[in-house]
Amino acid sequence: MTQYFQAIVVGAGPAGSSAALAMARAGLDVALLERGNFPGEKNMFGGLLHRMSSLEAYIPDFWAKAPVERHVNQKNLTFMTADSTVNVQLESGNFDQAPYNGYTVLRPKFDKWLAAQAVEAGATLITRAMVDEVIMEQGQIKGVSVLGRTGKLYAPLVIAADGVLSFVAAKAGLRSGTFKPDQMAVGVKALYDLPKQVIDDRFGLTRDQGCANEFVGCTGGVRGGGCLYTNYDSVSLGLVVHIGSLKKGKKTPCDLLNAFADHPHLSKKLKGGRLMEYSAHVIPEGGYDMVPQLAGNGMLVAGDAAAFCNVTGMHLEGVNFASHSGILAAKAAISAHKDQDFSEQKLHGYIKLLDNSFVLQDLKKFKHAPKMLHNDRIFNEYPDLACRLMESVYRIDGKPKKGVGRLALDAVKKTTGVKNIARDIFTAWRAL
Amino acid sequence: MNVEEILDYTSFTIDREPHIIVDQTVCAACTDRACTTACPAGCYNWSRSDERLSFVYDACLECGTCYIVCENKAFIRWRYPRGGFGVSYRMT
Repeated sequence: MTQYFQAIVVGAGPAGSSAALAMARAGLDVALLERGNFPGEKNMFGGLLHRMSSLEAYIPDFWAKAPVERHVNQKNLTFMTADSTVNVQLESGNFDQAPYNGYTVLRPKFDKWLAAQAVEAGATLITRAMVDEVIMEQGQIKGVSVLGRTGKLYAPLVIAADGVLSFVAAKAGLRSGTFKPDQMAVGVKALYDLPKQVIDDRFGLTRDQGCANEFVGCTGGVRGGGCLYTNYDSVSLGLVVHIGSLKKGKKTPCDLLNAFADHPHLSKKLKGGRLMEYSAHVIPEGGYDMVPQLAGNGMLVAGDAAAFCNVTGMHLEGVNFASHSGILAAKAAISAHKDQDFSEQKLHGYIKLLDNSFVLQDLKKFKHAPKMLHNDRIFNEYPDLACRLMESVYRIDGKPKKGVGRLALDAVKKTTGVKNIARDIFTAWRAL
Repeated sequence: MNVEEILDYTSFTIDREPHIIVDQTVCAACTDRACTTACPAGCYNWSRSDERLSFVYDACLECGTCYIVCENKAFIRWRYPRGGFGVSYRMT
């Protein structure tokens, strides 16, 4: 059966559902395609949803309506060695009140809900639809075909929101067919069941307060980091490792995650937790340099498909970039429909919108960050340096104390060396 | 927990046909076989006796790591499973 729509969105993740919601609200007849049995079935991330400022315009009181687990008022960055940790914690009063700065979220629940908002606005959700081919006529995209189904879906505009590997954008010729292992990371995650009260007590939380904790020095020498996020009555424990470094290190992600969970600092926090689910996904971490062509004749690319992830070491953002880019793609689509012009030139309006938003401005601002993070010292030596230094500051051993400056210099000399640390501070300063 | 045990906690709807097919001639000549360590689900195993790379597609998490880590492009087919099949996250 052949079906006609005014726009087709491939992928009912945060980018696709946001795009479908915004277009449907403007009265367009939209098809939202999802390859899973339901939106969110195929999707995973660490667990931290940053503030969805653009979605709040479409869904007022987003935090009260969305199925979020907890709002995050406590942020931690932990440097760790085999037996020690140094923790930097922010517990913010402002982050404890609406509009919240971020939430912990479970994707099968959240993505399903977000797609339902698009459906409520009038979009047609088609699940179990794996897009196979892009239909192109005279250089203009006209629709898509779905694997294993007869009939095609036609629309003058297709939004590729099909995730990091975006075969849709590749088939339309908007991105090259290959990825560099150094621009990609893989995230693995274990979800542990823990009673709410236990989580509240262990992490110092109350009501719906949540904790986000990122870790450096927990990846067995592979470049990457760890994360722990408190859900309502479960805890997400994850690791993200650079694929190029993982390849060289010959370690398995599963073993690394096991070792992380067994670390004395983590094992007491997870004690009694029952494993509920294990998941994995690739993350585009190449920053601005790996952004593909964003607009073609009859196509726009949004979310992970467009490599809109902001990974700087301090920021680990993806879903908010995805959602915002989806909404901007929808705005460009609405304008294209108004003028009945679906040429690449017209659709470049999308890039202009992105240029004026945090999406491309942040990616451009932090474009040197991915390279800065390709530095093994950050993951292997600096956690050790931080632990040694703090230990020497607090150590009481009956001997006269050295000044803090002297202790810092000693710790640097024993670990990284003065030259390296000076160079890395300069690189980080430039990148951030 | 080893990877097989961990995967017991993840649900799958297994399709009749594999969504990934490797090119055995390319894999036989590969010196790296990074897929055998990098895959988070341990789906790739090199059998020395058979000199073959086996790929167990029914525990594939569809994460994309093998697609990126294999720089020899040893895939005759690499696509996602048909709609409705493959990994099914319930909670994550």
